[in-house]
Amino acid sequence: MATVAGTLARPANVGVWSWVTTVDHKRIGVLYGITAFSFLLWGGVQALLIRTQLAVPNGTVIDAERFNQLFTMHALTMIFLAVMPLGAAFFNFLTPLMIGARDVAFPRLNALSYWVYLGGGLLLTSSFFWDAPSAGWFNYTPLSNETYTADMGIDFYVVGLLILGTSSLMAALNFCVTIINMRAPGLTMMRLPVFVWMTLIISFLLVLALPPLTVGLIQLLFDRNWETNFFVAEQGGDPILWQHLFWVFGHPEVYILILPAMGIVSEVLPVFSRKPLFGYPAVVFAGVAIAFLGWAVWAHHMFTTGMGTVPRTVFAANTMVIAVPTGIKIFNWIGTLYGGSIRFNTAMLFSVAFIVTFTIGGISGVMHASPPVDSQHQDSYFVVAHIHYVLFGGAVMGIFSGIYYWFPKMTGRFLGEGLGKMHFWLMFIGLNMTFFPMHFLGLAGMPRRIYTYDQGLDWGFWNMFATIGSFVIGISIIVFVWNFFRSMQQPKTAPDNPWDAATLEWATSSPPPEHDFDVVPTVRARDPLWHDRDHNIERPEPTGEHIHMPPPSYYPILMASGVLLMGLGPLSHLALTALGAVVVVYSIWGWALEPTD
Amino acid sequence: MSHAEQAELGTEQHGLTIRQYLMIGAALTVITIIELAVSYSDLGDAMVPILLILSAVKFVVVVAYFMHLRFDAPIFTRMFVGSFFLALAILIALVSLFWADDHRLPLG
Amino acid sequence: MAHAATGHAPAHHPTNTGTDNRKLLMWFFLGSECLFFGSLIATYLIFKGDSIVGPFPHPHGDEHGILDIPLTSTSTFVLLMSSVTMVLAVYGAQHNLPKMMKLSLLATVLLGIGFLGFQVYEFRHFAHEGLTLSTNIFGATFYVMTGFHGTHVAVGVLYLSSLLLGSFRRSGLGPETGFHVETAGLYWHFVDIVWIVIFTVVYLIPD
Repeated sequence: MATVAGTLARPANVGVWSWVTTVDHKRIGVLYGITAFSFLLWGGVQALLIRTQLAVPNGTVIDAERFNQLFTMHALTMIFLAVMPLGAAFFNFLTPLMIGARDVAFPRLNALSYWVYLGGGLLLTSSFFWDAPSAGWFNYTPLSNETYTADMGIDFYVVGLLILGTSSLMAALNFCVTIINMRAPGLTMMRLPVFVWMTLIISFLLVLALPPLTVGLIQLLFDRNWETNFFVAEQGGDPILWQHLFWVFGHPEVYILILPAMGIVSEVLPVFSRKPLFGYPAVVFAGVAIAFLGWAVWAHHMFTTGMGTVPRTVFAANTMVIAVPTGIKIFNWIGTLYGGSIRFNTAMLFSVAFIVTFTIGGISGVMHASPPVDSQHQDSYFVVAHIHYVLFGGAVMGIFSGIYYWFPKMTGRFLGEGLGKMHFWLMFIGLNMTFFPMHFLGLAGMPRRIYTYDQGLDWGFWNMFATIGSFVIGISIIVFVWNFFRSMQQPKTAPDNPWDAATLEWATSSPPPEHDFDVVPTVRARDPLWHDRDHNIERPEPTGEHIHMPPPSYYPILMASGVLLMGLGPLSHLALTALGAVVVVYSIWGWALEPTD
Repeated sequence: MSHAEQAELGTEQHGLTIRQYLMIGAALTVITIIELAVSYSDLGDAMVPILLILSAVKFVVVVAYFMHLRFDAPIFTRMFVGSFFLALAILIALVSLFWADDHRLPLG
Repeated sequence: MAHAATGHAPAHHPTNTGTDNRKLLMWFFLGSECLFFGSLIATYLIFKGDSIVGPFPHPHGDEHGILDIPLTSTSTFVLLMSSVTMVLAVYGAQHNLPKMMKLSLLATVLLGIGFLGFQVYEFRHFAHEGLTLSTNIFGATFYVMTGFHGTHVAVGVLYLSSLLLGSFRRSGLGPETGFHVETAGLYWHFVDIVWIVIFTVVYLIPD
């Protein structure tokens, strides 16, 4: 292949290099999935260390400083390195397949998002070798100012989140364009699978919510390294500003975490109930409403900062209103189950459990919407219980449902049902054992983020109970990993559409070919495969014409290394930032000049 | 480039003529001079609203004509106007939350 | 830029909205930038007039304000004119007038560099007057906000220079050139409208 002067030679299409240079959305999805699951395991180990320390009063397993680092990094790992990228793994792999496209709008940009994410994740995790962040995942000033946390941990936090934000922004821009512009003929917006709708909504949220966080992070970086006083009250700044900027991002972020799971559940429930999703337009509009209202509620995280009556009332009312679209979704899922001929396999069990556990977390969330109640719950274990019911009981359960459901499409193999059910029941029991008692502990006055507690406080029993539950979750994960490796040794026997599902990703082989579809499908109804089945419409035969796919490229990983170097600058020497900028500019030029045909 | 090619590329322009662009540039310059005059004048409480309106006019003219939103696909307008008003709403909310403290606005 | 350079127009699959993916991407990105600059400007407004010690931006008691409004009005005019030349470059690229496109792009780049020159002069002057990042909250908010705007201008200068250099790599204008110049123009005009707001908020409105 002809190379243009100044561009790198074309990489090969097999072996390790083919993964390093891939621009195929399915391979990038797999890379996201494997990386994010590895971080999920690491975040789980951190959680078990925390629970071991708290199992008995006056625990001595880890000291206070390390404990602070662990709970901070546990949250950062789970939110930014595990759950968000697991969502990304699904929408990378599935969105083009579900909308009948051959790839995303910008395949190389997609690869860049992944490599930047990997760099940011490794940078944040490597902080354990120096000083890990220790001021909590929302990193409030003035605790995170140089005066109170002088070590480098907070700088790792700032730089890590800036890099990860860049990655998410690029991915989100890509998926906005892909979903709006690349749909198959006949696939109107109101025929889009709900999972794709949720992907579109979180992409919009990311595009719009990341900049306020970026600004806050930049200001904190300047405060810590170049003596500005944005968050220093003595010098005319205001530490509360950090809280606002963080939560303007942070609350949409909550929906960014949960909406992919809601999308997955909305795909799984109809298939295993053998009837279409109940009230499709209501589910879609409820998702849009959640995203829209999600912008007007951020200060409910800050009721105890003394905002005044009017702001408190407004934010409380908006927060309670969000329960309405969320409730609509829950009723629609139940409506989908009602009267269906249900198949209770593992994917379905996770989805049904999602409805239950997510509702528990949702209800405790509505309790926090009331400022007087919130003042009692603030910074107690009740809040810890709430966030874990929505993030673990919600997002993670939804993601596991998706893994069992789409595993045949992704690998051509089935996950074992026996081990799968064992995994499900252990996880379901473990999660309720771990997190339900935290409601009691919180109401009994146990503050979050304490590294130990005294004997006489009577918190010992439920803490031990929760610790046992957390190890049950750990065992369930081992069962899953065992199931995964066992399945991967089986031959590829999965047919194109093993579940008799309705969406387009099941209209191609399992796993799909590089070009996704031999013939780009035409969509005639909201559940296209059921419609075609019922109307005896055959899938068109391949025409045998050559399908051009974008070639692999070295530039995404090269540019990502430049971004990482730029990030290392504030942590070591700013010369690295300049060097990284040079690498980035060189990559952009090479990228632009590289032939894409 | 032929008309058909432009249409196929989706870049077909209904933009203005060179003369019209230059006129708009001149108008923007005049507004800037008026802004300066206002900022040096003694208009009291009316000054800030006048300045904000004048810069909003400049903003809209650049977006509508120089960035072609006036003639381009509606999705661009929807995207940009939506994002802009979200940013504006958050800005107003943040500023009023903080100014309520500083200036004792009646927010409780 | 890419295809103008290599001479290959990519296969254009029709899109659902009839818009080009890259242009849509740029508009989404500019939407994101609204929130970015919105947050920076909000920070500036929150702290406007809150500095405890001088130098102050506007006259404060018997101290003079350090903002030089005639000077900045000139640099504002320079950036405004660069928007006019930018729109002419887009016109030239879309109407197959390569000479006009190249000259206008060159003018835009030079005006952009001129604006940056004014900003460097202003920053040095302020530093000389004793205003640093750490002096007061005005220093912090002013330098970070206008600094990020200046960085955007610098990126724009680099972006437009690349297009200008690329346009010399082949004679005539490929069908894609108009496209790339237009998309770059969107970015450039956006940077200009951000300055319209900053100029009003920082320089024209007193504390």
